[in-house]
Amino acid sequence: MATTAAPAPAYAGSHAAGGEQTGLWSWLATVDHKRIGTLYLWTALFFFCVGGIEAFIMRLQLMQPNGQVVSAEVFNQLFTMHGTTMIFLVVMPLSAAFFNFLIPLQIGARDVAFPRLNAFSYWVYLFGGLFMTLPILFNSAPNGGWFGYAPLTTMQFSGGLNIDFWVLGLQILGVSSLAAAFNFITTIINMRAPGMSLMRMPIFTWMSFVVQFLLVLAFPAITIALFFLQFDRFFGTQFYEIAAGADPLLWQHLFWVFGHPEVYILILPAFGLASEILPTFSKKPLFGYNVMVYSGIMIGFLGFGVWAHHMFAVGMGATADTIFSMATMLIGIPTGVKIFNWVATMWGGNLKFTVPMKFAVALVALFTIGGISGVMHSSPPTDLQQTDTYFIVAHFHYVLFGGSIMGIMGGIYFYYPKMVGRYMSETLGNWHFWLFFIGMNMTFFPMHFSGMLGMPRRIYTYDAGQGWDTFNLWSSIGVFIQGLGLVIFVYNFLKSRKSGAVAPNDAWGAGTLEWSIPSPPPEYNFAQLPVVTSRYPLWDLKHPEMTADLTHSAPDQMVITDSHAVPVHEETERKTAHELGIPMPFPTIKPLFAALFMVLMVGALVLVHAISMQVAVAVMITCAALFIGTIYGWLTSPLE
Amino acid sequence: MTRSPHRRLGPALLLVAGIALALAACSTQSYPNSSFTSNSDLNIDINALWDRVLIMGTAVFIFVEGLLIYVIVRYRAKPNAPMPKQIHGSHTLEIVWTLIPVLILIPIAIPTVKTIFKTQAPAVADALQVEVYGHQWWWEFRYPAYGVVTANELYLPAGKTVNFTLQTRDVLHSFWTPGLAGKRDLISNKVNHLWYTPDKTLTEGAFNGFCTEYCGSSHANMRFRVFTVSPENFEKWAAHMKTPAAGSPAALAAQAAADSAAKKAPKAAAMVPTPAPAPAMDAGYVFPVEKMGAHTIPRTPYPAGLTFDDNLLGQGDAARGRALLTNPANMGKAACLTCHVITGEQAYVNDDVARGPNLTHVASRHTFAGGLFPLDAAHLAHWIKNAEKMKPGTPMTVFGIGQYSPLMKANVTVGLTDAEIADVVAYLLTLK
Repeated sequence: MATTAAPAPAYAGSHAAGGEQTGLWSWLATVDHKRIGTLYLWTALFFFCVGGIEAFIMRLQLMQPNGQVVSAEVFNQLFTMHGTTMIFLVVMPLSAAFFNFLIPLQIGARDVAFPRLNAFSYWVYLFGGLFMTLPILFNSAPNGGWFGYAPLTTMQFSGGLNIDFWVLGLQILGVSSLAAAFNFITTIINMRAPGMSLMRMPIFTWMSFVVQFLLVLAFPAITIALFFLQFDRFFGTQFYEIAAGADPLLWQHLFWVFGHPEVYILILPAFGLASEILPTFSKKPLFGYNVMVYSGIMIGFLGFGVWAHHMFAVGMGATADTIFSMATMLIGIPTGVKIFNWVATMWGGNLKFTVPMKFAVALVALFTIGGISGVMHSSPPTDLQQTDTYFIVAHFHYVLFGGSIMGIMGGIYFYYPKMVGRYMSETLGNWHFWLFFIGMNMTFFPMHFSGMLGMPRRIYTYDAGQGWDTFNLWSSIGVFIQGLGLVIFVYNFLKSRKSGAVAPNDAWGAGTLEWSIPSPPPEYNFAQLPVVTSRYPLWDLKHPEMTADLTHSAPDQMVITDSHAVPVHEETERKTAHELGIPMPFPTIKPLFAALFMVLMVGALVLVHAISMQVAVAVMITCAALFIGTIYGWLTSPLE
Repeated sequence: MTRSPHRRLGPALLLVAGIALALAACSTQSYPNSSFTSNSDLNIDINALWDRVLIMGTAVFIFVEGLLIYVIVRYRAKPNAPMPKQIHGSHTLEIVWTLIPVLILIPIAIPTVKTIFKTQAPAVADALQVEVYGHQWWWEFRYPAYGVVTANELYLPAGKTVNFTLQTRDVLHSFWTPGLAGKRDLISNKVNHLWYTPDKTLTEGAFNGFCTEYCGSSHANMRFRVFTVSPENFEKWAAHMKTPAAGSPAALAAQAAADSAAKKAPKAAAMVPTPAPAPAMDAGYVFPVEKMGAHTIPRTPYPAGLTFDDNLLGQGDAARGRALLTNPANMGKAACLTCHVITGEQAYVNDDVARGPNLTHVASRHTFAGGLFPLDAAHLAHWIKNAEKMKPGTPMTVFGIGQYSPLMKANVTVGLTDAEIADVVAYLLTLK
């Protein structure tokens, strides 16, 4: 490995000697964005394993016709929780791990705008995730599908606690996402290093910026949809009550007004990561930076105008079908541009196929397939043969696994040295990559066929002789291969923390600010804030020939208000914040308790059905009082 | 990187070999539920569009993946390679590949819009009207012009446009026969439509249908069959379907009236060259089971732990069975008619509120329980004994004494013995 041959920096191996806290308490009370990012990463990977096990059991059941591995009831919980987990507890938080860890480093900031709110977001996510996941151990996990279509989810058709956990769990997770989104918007707008104009932001930060706005605009729609359902279930309102004349399409419209932008919430961060990885290992700048930014914004914007393409079979009428079909086709244009720009980035480069590069290239290859099948069902008449079949399952797994997960896995291998100070093993990484790549194609490609050959989605069993047996067998074998890849990844991830090759500041020869500081970064990130004069500050420093064509602003043309700011440089010393006189926010456990009491307060609603209204109200009032008390303590304790 | 490129090609070759093997393995099978058919005007339109998107999609796939593979091979880093030329972008190129997707999408978009408006126009006025009602987890089909109510098996005259009116009695469902046409959802408090014309050559076609909107526990078990038959056979089938149930007071009365009419006017009857049989006597038309094709004959296994003695089935008595269902004295243990309608027998519910399928001509069907089981004595007996085990979540009562009923959360004490179930089965099998 050429990359590991770089000389180890002087401070290597003495991370804890930097005056940073260690131990359990340092994690529970942390307000450091890097540690919170790490917590997000570990938690989301835990849930990735949970969601993977759910998929594994489902594929065991579907491996042969009339399978007897699990009951209908268990299977319905499994597919509901697999979708809910992978979307809300895995891909979104994995992206959040990178938002947290990377955005301040990429924009040259010392933390996020609201460090305590950031901690609060994480703890809400953890407790909300457990709240939704643990019931599966008691056979009462949500079982209405991740889309939770009314009226199946109303009390009339789904008594029991299953759907209660789902409604309340999603509400809780929405709080986490919204708090984080406002935090990152504020951070990106206000805390960029001197000289870092918006159009000099690293592309990952740009895509994340777009995603935060999608979160802020999309979540209210599902929050309202869920509030209606919550009130129906607990307090007898009739938003979705069929007997009272409700229109079930109300739920579908509200859900997909959220649900489609959600798809871009899941994919854009992975696009951002791939856009960091591809230039680095091509030894070339990103092709068409401006167009990449604009197409990201365009995708985010159009993403709000296509939601009803999930509903071509509900009978909206020819006009609505036409409008949503055309809008959906339009979104293929900025997406296609991104793919061509990635290929153009690699064109003429010196491509070095490290593990992160392989994952990033796989994203381009596999997302293309998902994009093509997406255009196939953007045409409503053809969609009538495709929607709610395995063809759709194939499509969105090429987008979400081939796109999001491949991109994020690339991101993990790419940024692991920055997070941990050591590289992950390339050998194991290669095994992981090929098992994932082969396994995912073996799993999801046959689903195109089983779907078009008549196999519906969300079925716990199917009869023999339907022409689907071979495809399902391949899909199941593919999942076993992916499972092996996941095990190797987890082993590599755990083992490399201690035994990986030591990484220097600039682990891969990339061009952005996060690589100018030690690996792992000290708690204050930048001892002196860097002054940025172009899009690739570190290449300006180390390979000026790579950025010679870019317009630079000379430092004397810039108004630098921060007297501590200095030109971009590689930080080589590791001093404590105290030694440097950098004020750091106090660690505090209050966000954890605020999150805990809030989750208990909301979650206690299930007691209405589990025990009685009186008990529920008593617990909720108690938790509300504790929550408000904690918030008061939070607001009145000094920040730093 | 020290490893040779050949070792990296290995897994890729393995993948290609794997896909080739998969396709080879598949080619020996047939695909009875394929959506790539020309069996209806709607599906011909759908497939014309599909062919277009498939060609465009394949072209894009080959171009992009080919380009990617070329770049991967051609620009792989070589030792001591000089720094590549630094290109930050090109407006010309970017405009070109903004326009490429536009040019690809236009030939898809235009026929899409045309097809949307064509296929969603109102059906022709003389179309056969069929009302479809979704239930958790079975299908009710009504032919209002014929006064026919049936379940799980749909008869369509080949070559005649059929206009489905789709409604649900509970949660959302979706009506899909992949071999015939696309799907349409059944939405509460909304009436949806779907129309198409089965090809006129399909005079003995059997197709599988599925519910494709997740609708709870037994979503997977909500299937149906579509039989496309000749218009003459369709009329015969429909004429028989609207007669009252065999052995019912109404059927006996009709029989008696026909007999006495024949006695009163023997000469008149003799003058008719081929006397029209009395309606109650007509066996009608049933889709021949030998034409069904293996894929439409259910092979769902019996659940573990549910048995029924085959010898008892031979001893079942239809008259005793009918008494169990229709004698009000047996209402306590065999309240079948509070959920099912048997036209001609005492009615406790009508078809609009019945929770279970209309049983008037149940024995003329080939499948039951949402197309989950073949309709034969053994399957019916198991079903009546413990429907919950046969089909998870079904609202059908567990009747077998000693069987566990999830609804009552206890074992059944007031119900049917296996011998009584055999009687009921014998009766049901007379309802041709």
